[in-house]
Amino acid sequence: MQPPNPSVADRTGILAGRAAMIVRPAMPVRRRAHFRRRIQLWGAVFVTPTLLFFAVFKYGPMLWAMWLSLNAYDMMSAPHFIGLGNYRSLMADPIFWHALSNTLVYIAGSTTLITLVALGLALAVNSAVPGARQCMMLMYLTNLMPIIAVCLVWRFLFLPYGLVNELLHLVGIGRIDWLTSTTMAMPAIIIVTVWRFAPYFMVVFLASLLAIPADYYEAAELDGAGAVSRFRHVTLPLLAPMTFFVIVVSALLCARIFLMPYVMTGGGPGNATRVLSMLIYETGFSYLKMGRAAAISVVLFGIMLVFTLAQMRLFLRAEQSVSR
Amino acid sequence: MTRGRRTRLRRILLGTVPLGVVTFFFLLPILWMAGTSFQSNAKLFQSGMGWLPTVLHPDNYPKALAAANFGRYFLNSGIVSLAVTVGNLVFGVLAGYGLAKFRFPGHRLVLLLILTTLMLPLEVTLVPTFLVVHALGWINTYQGMVGPLLVDAFGVFLMRQSMLAIPSDYMEAARIDGAGELRILLRIMLPQCIPALAVLAMFAFRDSWDQFLWPLTIVSVDHLRTYPLGLAQFGEDFGNPPTQQMAIAVLATIPVFLLFAVLQRALTRGFGLGGIKG
Repeated sequence: MQPPNPSVADRTGILAGRAAMIVRPAMPVRRRAHFRRRIQLWGAVFVTPTLLFFAVFKYGPMLWAMWLSLNAYDMMSAPHFIGLGNYRSLMADPIFWHALSNTLVYIAGSTTLITLVALGLALAVNSAVPGARQCMMLMYLTNLMPIIAVCLVWRFLFLPYGLVNELLHLVGIGRIDWLTSTTMAMPAIIIVTVWRFAPYFMVVFLASLLAIPADYYEAAELDGAGAVSRFRHVTLPLLAPMTFFVIVVSALLCARIFLMPYVMTGGGPGNATRVLSMLIYETGFSYLKMGRAAAISVVLFGIMLVFTLAQMRLFLRAEQSVSR
Repeated sequence: MTRGRRTRLRRILLGTVPLGVVTFFFLLPILWMAGTSFQSNAKLFQSGMGWLPTVLHPDNYPKALAAANFGRYFLNSGIVSLAVTVGNLVFGVLAGYGLAKFRFPGHRLVLLLILTTLMLPLEVTLVPTFLVVHALGWINTYQGMVGPLLVDAFGVFLMRQSMLAIPSDYMEAARIDGAGELRILLRIMLPQCIPALAVLAMFAFRDSWDQFLWPLTIVSVDHLRTYPLGLAQFGEDFGNPPTQQMAIAVLATIPVFLLFAVLQRALTRGFGLGGIKG
């Protein structure tokens, strides 16, 4: 009956519960078990407010969205059932396909660059360079600046004679029409996204870099491993789970993107930066096509679902490795 | 001694200098914002470096504040953000405690249910959440602006993870002394989770202070608008000088940076950076 690993017992409270029983030998066995079970029920009490809240503001609305996506609804007259009509008309709508592919391109581009830049920054900050800590703190500020301020600032920086082009001009690169060209508007928004989120994920990477025991490096060094080989054979494998986590979390963040294209390009030029969340907002609240907007929501939900399932698997695996 | 000094010099040249340059480029947009907010409109676009003010023009600030109802917008944002932060702390602590320290029937299912809400951000559930708030009669109210943001799965998980790391012995000892469960939470668990609480407060405040889409959706009266709505519209109109837009942007940035400065020590531990070098 003794649990194999005391830390597991600690987590679940079993060991401590047993200790309590030892201290109180007077309590009859049945009452003791009852008492213990009653205490565990407090957990249910503590999670109830959150679950109720999610029922009203998360699960309920999502189920409603799924139902609504099968209806035509304009908020004036009662919704009426049209089956897959909304989905069928979305499939025939080029703007929807634009928004879907923009969202996927944006997720792929941003997530890749965020991960690489964050990892690079974390490695740089983790080296025992004087002032590394101060640099980290300063870079992290980009993650705290209000996002509307970020959008307005970068909209100016990306102007034809703005700071970005001035700096590029200094190194001999010609002026680029960032936000006004269909090819460069998306890269521009991805640049802002990386600027905004890479320092955050740098901190995440840094935490797991710091958790690598120094002995590993010392052992590798004794075996004659150089800096490059230490990085390849010690750092990278130990960072792999965290890298996967960073990719999934940043993909979930990027799937929700709304404000940057909304303010910086208005979805344009043309439809070059229109993403799904913008399309949901416009369809629902500018054109009052609630059913159609709900159908787009279901598509966006599908994208989030893929990444969330990946995250859940990761989480469950981590939980198992803790209890093993 | 000389050798040590030489390696240090090498580290500074090969490490600190490049890292400093990278940091500078990351900070440049923030510096541009601050510089521009003190520049005169005429000089701003004279040259690439026109944003660096040689003479300070602090009058951009009162002019910008007077250009729209920004005082009220900031007040609204403050009210909403404060409520959302407190809500996230309270719900997150309670649910995190329940999940970390109790094994009630179905606790694993509850954990997964809460995890699933990560794929249901407001951007996805926008239309039905609007309809729920509409049905509650909360359009154009503070409770409508706060309600759907009050709890987030992130906070629940953060608190759960940090409480898992606290040994249960303390709890048991307190229980034997006759302490109630809430008392154990407040007196024994919370003092040991200060770093996690700091992280949660920081993120909850920043996210609600940033929130744009939700007030955009449910607020249609001017006196309830939050500053991001006001600032976006202020920026929309190109007649408004960039210098004044940046003045408002600076004012919006100050509260978040201040909170960061106040919580910095606890945050470093909360991020797991307690042992960072340098």
